[in-house]
Amino acid sequence: MLSIKNLTASINGTPVLKGIDLEIKAGEIHAIMGPNGSGKSTLGKVLVGHPAYEVTGGEVLYEGRNLFELAADERARAGIFMGFQHPIEVPGVSNAAFLRLAYNKKAEAEGRDELDPLEFDDFIHEKIKLVSMKEEFLDRSLNEGFSGGEKKRNEILQMAVLEPKLAILDELDSGLDIDALRVLGDAVNKLQRPDRALLIITHFPRILETIQPQFVHVLSGGRILKSAGKELATELEDRGYDWVLEEAAAGGAR
Amino acid sequence: MSTAVVGSSLLADLLSGPRPAEWASLREAAELRLAGRELPATREEDWKYTDLKALATSTFEPAPKVTVDISRHLLPEMVGTRQVFVNGHHAPHASCASAVPAGVRYFPMSHASEACHALGSVGNGAAKGLFEDLNTARFQDGAVILVPKNLKVALPLHVLFVTKAETPVAVFPRLLVVLERGAELELVEEHHGEGAYLSCPVVEVHVAEGAILRHERVQRESPEAFHLATLRAEVGKGGQYHSRTLSFGARLSRQEPRVRLAEGAEASLDGLALLDGSQVADTHSFLHHAEPGATSRQLHKCIVDGRARAIFNGQVLVAKGAQGTDAQQQSRNLLLSEAARVDTKPQLEIYADDVKCSHGAAVGQLDPEELFYLQSRGMNADDARNLLTYGFAADVLTHVPVASLRRSLRQLVMARTQAGSLGDLA
Repeated sequence: MLSIKNLTASINGTPVLKGIDLEIKAGEIHAIMGPNGSGKSTLGKVLVGHPAYEVTGGEVLYEGRNLFELAADERARAGIFMGFQHPIEVPGVSNAAFLRLAYNKKAEAEGRDELDPLEFDDFIHEKIKLVSMKEEFLDRSLNEGFSGGEKKRNEILQMAVLEPKLAILDELDSGLDIDALRVLGDAVNKLQRPDRALLIITHFPRILETIQPQFVHVLSGGRILKSAGKELATELEDRGYDWVLEEAAAGGAR
Repeated sequence: MSTAVVGSSLLADLLSGPRPAEWASLREAAELRLAGRELPATREEDWKYTDLKALATSTFEPAPKVTVDISRHLLPEMVGTRQVFVNGHHAPHASCASAVPAGVRYFPMSHASEACHALGSVGNGAAKGLFEDLNTARFQDGAVILVPKNLKVALPLHVLFVTKAETPVAVFPRLLVVLERGAELELVEEHHGEGAYLSCPVVEVHVAEGAILRHERVQRESPEAFHLATLRAEVGKGGQYHSRTLSFGARLSRQEPRVRLAEGAEASLDGLALLDGSQVADTHSFLHHAEPGATSRQLHKCIVDGRARAIFNGQVLVAKGAQGTDAQQQSRNLLLSEAARVDTKPQLEIYADDVKCSHGAAVGQLDPEELFYLQSRGMNADDARNLLTYGFAADVLTHVPVASLRRSLRQLVMARTQAGSLGDLA
């Protein structure tokens, strides 16, 4: 589904990604872990086309197409979704109107029927149950005045509405209490299917107890230092990141 | 020859018609103050960016009584609480106040002149504005609303001023609102019209101790109209006055709200101006924290397209001894074209030391992070821009209390921000 080869990227001329290689197949769940400032979020944002980052080298194929030929909105309509660590507030635009618009743009691109406000009302009421969101949040302005946790809930609601093929979730657990994390983790698991893939970006292994990855990668200094199965997450929880960094430094010296 | 000479002839012309019989002494005093005055010129600081040359070179006749179809201006929540004035004259057949609760006095001034003893008394002592005096000298009729002590009026009242000008006319809409202690009211004041005309509305508001007035003001004048409005409000101890002024129409409009807050009073003074073509919309507000512990909030937003121009001058005066004042002012402006222009100026004068006052002004384009967020959800760049522009304006409408009005205003904003192609956002 997604094939990243020797990807390099920079922000304001400063290199952040220094050669990333990663293969994600349909049905897989991958976790990218690493210390703060390692480039984890940057990788996600580069994949969804954030304008602040410049791709300086390498290649990314999404379903066989050159990802960088697609604008951010085209990537979204092609099935890539990122749940952001800090979702933006948009005053004046109701959450419901925004969700319906986003749904209909994707439906239009896929040749499916668009939903009118009444049809969408039924549709969205099913979806908000999945993330245990209170109905009043549909009428409020998009993310405006939402707590950190409510914003995350809204991100996963958007994911449930758009049903992406590849979902990238950046620090989903920040701002969430244990119960909310379990609800949203379960929701993400319910949305996962054999033809979809997940990329979980996280500093803390906690979330990986609910959303269990098959592959765990440690990213630091703009490079993937180590890749292994999910047991790596447990090891990182016990031992922290330093040993991976030291191991990599020793490997580099050899 | 300077424009001021032309301007003074405009004033003389407007005053040359017959003086209405009621409130003779009030009118005489206004005429005395107007004698020898001229239209303000741009060399005056308060009119620096608002050029009245086009007004000065126009002529206007007194507005005749006409009938108009007001059906499209009716709102379901307020069909039984409306007073309609056409060309400054009360329109009895278009009005219907049958749903107004007993105890509330809600009449055209011409029917209840004895109830209007407060007329002209709000903000007494402060110098009257030229257009305010012009209104006082020549207004034909207006609405008076008196809400007695502790009465909380459940239904909003709708005062509709409609102008129909086949040839250029001058109209002087007038509104007097008096809330006695503990009374509560929601009021919608709307201005509509067609043709070329000059409208100089004056609104006077008394909010007594502990009373609450929520006041929506909608300016949808014709594109050829001049709209020069004055609002004076006095808010008593612990009282609240919340207004939202929405300016969509008129070739040139000016809003001059002047609000005085007594101890512990609260006011919000929000505004939205949506401008394109060569429209000019000017807001000169004055918030007077006269006593301790009062709170004011002001959010003024402008979206300016074409060669249009928006002006905001927000004066906040914290009097000596007005300790514990909490005043916040925000002026936020979106420029949609190269030739659009905004001049914004906060003006804080603080003579007390224990106060919390803040102000901010921003003029710019849309936030790239917001644009990207919407694009990441599948909206193309144009749709994202249109949606954000809509949201910037609709933000001011979120708390409009009358659902049908809120919806119609959102639809108007959708149409004016090219967000119409995005489906129904209202």
